[in-house]
Amino acid sequence: MIELDLALQRSEFSLELALRSPARALALFGPSGCGKTSTLLAIAGLLHPRRGRIAIDGHALFDADANIDLPPARRNLGVVFQDARLFPHLSVRDNLRYGMPRAATAQRFDDVVQLLALSAFLKRKPGQLSGGQIRRVAIGRALLREPHALLLDEPLANLHREARAEVLEYLRGLKRGFTLSTILVSHQPDEVIALADSVALIEDGRLAALQSIDAFQSSIAASGSLLAAKACASG
Amino acid sequence: MLLTHAEIVALALSFKVSLVGVACSLPVAVGCAWLLARTRFFGKPVFEGLLLLPLILPPVVTGYVLLILFGHHGAIGRWLDAAGLSIAFRWTGAALAAAVMAFPLLVVALRNAFESVDRKLEHAAATLGAGPWRIFFGITLPLSARGLVAGLALAFARAFGEFGATITFVSSIPGQTRTLPIALYELISMPGGENGALRLTLVAVVVAVIASLIAALMLLRGGTREAEA
Amino acid sequence: MRVIQRLAACVIVAVAGALASMSAAAAPPTIFAAASLEPALDQMAHDGALGSPAPRLVYAASSALARQIENGAPADLFISADERWMDAAAQRGAIVPSTHTDLLGNALVLVAPSDSTARLDLAQGAASVLETLGRDGRLAIALPDSVPAGIYGKQSLTKLGMWDALQPRMAMTRDVRAALNLVVLGQCPIGIVYRSDAVSEPRVKVLATFPAASHKPIVYPAAIVKGHDGAATRALLAALQSGQAHDVFRRWGFDVLAH
Repeated sequence: MIELDLALQRSEFSLELALRSPARALALFGPSGCGKTSTLLAIAGLLHPRRGRIAIDGHALFDADANIDLPPARRNLGVVFQDARLFPHLSVRDNLRYGMPRAATAQRFDDVVQLLALSAFLKRKPGQLSGGQIRRVAIGRALLREPHALLLDEPLANLHREARAEVLEYLRGLKRGFTLSTILVSHQPDEVIALADSVALIEDGRLAALQSIDAFQSSIAASGSLLAAKACASG
Repeated sequence: MLLTHAEIVALALSFKVSLVGVACSLPVAVGCAWLLARTRFFGKPVFEGLLLLPLILPPVVTGYVLLILFGHHGAIGRWLDAAGLSIAFRWTGAALAAAVMAFPLLVVALRNAFESVDRKLEHAAATLGAGPWRIFFGITLPLSARGLVAGLALAFARAFGEFGATITFVSSIPGQTRTLPIALYELISMPGGENGALRLTLVAVVVAVIASLIAALMLLRGGTREAEA
Repeated sequence: MRVIQRLAACVIVAVAGALASMSAAAAPPTIFAAASLEPALDQMAHDGALGSPAPRLVYAASSALARQIENGAPADLFISADERWMDAAAQRGAIVPSTHTDLLGNALVLVAPSDSTARLDLAQGAASVLETLGRDGRLAIALPDSVPAGIYGKQSLTKLGMWDALQPRMAMTRDVRAALNLVVLGQCPIGIVYRSDAVSEPRVKVLATFPAASHKPIVYPAAIVKGHDGAATRALLAALQSGQAHDVFRRWGFDVLAH
C-alpha cells in the first residue's frame, strides 16, 4: 500500500499529489519536468514537502500533522538514482555492500550479484564500467540494503539501445524474483508496462489519473502515438 | 655546507614544533571546514571572519594574545600551570603559536576540498542508511583527500616559517623555542652572522619548495583526474 | 578572474601611493631611534622641542634599524642604543662620520613586577638571582648577541661570573621592550632592561643596578644618515642637545653626555 499526499514547492513548478494505491509496483508517469523525480526525492527524504503524508505499507515516513519526518537514513528505502551515484573511490563490491545491514548473509549478496550478473567486475571501480553495468550495480546496491521498498528514478534513461534492453531484462527478473514494493519514475511507456502494476499519470504537477497497467497499455495503444509521442518528445 | 650544532637543534625543533602544531590544528580545522562547507547557521560570516583572524592580524598581536591567554597567570595558562601542563616558554607553546598561525590556511584548503565533493554522493549514502559520521569518514574525507594533503603541506610550510607570534609568545630559548626562523633572525641581527643566516635560509627554501611541490602535485593531479572522468 | 584583477589594481594603487608619499618634498624629517628612546623622544616631539613639523619617529631594535639604513631606508637621523651598530653603519658608509655624536648614556638594571617581594644582592652572584627565579621562572633579556641591551647584559653577567649559571634560565626577546613587557605581565620574575625603561614603566621596580664598570659604557650615539645632510637635519641634531632636551632625557632616566 503506497500512500502519497504531499505538496512541494520548487523553483520551476509546484507539485500537489494525493493518491493511495494497493499496487505492489507503482509507476509515476509523465513528461519531464512535471515533478516526478522531485516526488521520488521527497519519498526518499531528500526533499521536504510543505505538508502531507507519505507512507508505505503502513509505515509513515513523513507526516506533517503527526510531526513525523524520518531522515533518509532511517526510511529504509532502496533508491536507484537517475545518475546512479556510485561511490567512485570504492570497488563495485564495496559499493554493493555499502548499505547492507549487519545481519545480512553472504548468500543474499551472492544471489543479487548473480541476478544482476555482476560477478565479473566486483573488483573494478565505477570509472571502469559501462553505462549499463553502472546501472546494474546501482540496482544491486539498493537491493542489498534489504529495504522496505525500492525507488527507481528513470532506470533506463540515457542508456543506448543494447544497454536499455539489458537492464530492462534484469529489472523484469527482479520483478519476478523479489516481492518489494516499488515506485518507479519514468517517461517511457515500455519501462512502465514492463515493470509496473499501476500507473499514476502526472501532468503539470497534478495527478491526472490513476490506472491499472492494462488500462494504461490500452490508452497508449488507443491514443496511438499521441500520448507516447508526447511523452517521448519531451523526455 | 654543514650546519653548526645550534643550527641543527633549531632545525630539528622547527620540524617538531611544526608537525605537532599542524597535527593539533587539523581536527579543529576539519570540524570548522565541515561546518563552513556543509551547514548554514546564523552568524556564519562572523564565524568565518574570526577563523581568518590570525591571517589578518599582525603576528606580534597574535603572539601577544597567546601570551595573555596561555602565559603564566593567563586565563587559560593558570589552569595549565596548576595541572603541571604549562606551555609558557616551552616548545609546546611554540607549537601552539605555529598551530594558530597555520590554522586559517588549513581551514580554507579543507573547506574547498569538502565543497568539491559532490553532495549527491553524500545523499546517496544517506539513503543507504549511513549516518553523518559514516558519510564524513567514508565518503567526504576519502574524496577530498587530495585537497586535504595539499592543505596540510601549505599549513606545514606556514607553521615552519612562523616567527612573529612565536618570539612574542615564548621568546627565544635554545632547544625549547628557538626555531629555525628565530635562529635565522638572530643571525641576521648579528654583525658577521650573514654566513649562518645564508645556510639557514637555504634550508628553509628547500623545505618550502618541497611543501609547495607536494601541494601543487596533489591539486594538479586531482584536476586532471576529474577532467578524464 | 575579475577578483584577481581587482586585487592587482588595489596593490598597484597602494604601492603608487606609498612611493608618492615617500618622495613628497614637504615631508617632516625622520628619526630612526632605538626602542628605549620612545617615551623621551615622543614627549619631546609632543612638547615641540624638536621643531616643527614634528619629526617622524621610527622605533625598533638598533640592529634592525642599522640594517635598514644600510639598505637605503628613508631615515634622516639615526640614534642607536649601541656603539657597535653605529660603527657597523659607519663601516658601510651609511652615515656622515663628522656628525657622529655621543648623545646619551644609560644604566643597566634588574627589574621585577612592582608588587614583587624579591630581594636581590648582586654581590652574592648567581645564587641570589636563581633564588628569585625559583624553580620555573625565567630571566627576561633581549637577544644577547644582537640587541644592545642584551649585549650589555651579557657583558655584565659575564664580568660578574653569573653568565654560565643564568644562561639556561633565560627567555631571550626580540628587543628590550619585549623583555620589559614580560616582567610587567608577570611572565618573568626578573628582567634585564635599561634604567630608562624602568623609569618609564610604573608597573616594575628596580631590584639592582649593574655596576657601570661591569659593561662597556652604554652610549647612545647619534648621526646624520648619508645623503640626508642638510640644514633641517643639523637643526634637529642640535635640538636633541638643547637644554630642554637634556631635561627631558634626564627625567626619563638617561645620562646626558653631549653638550
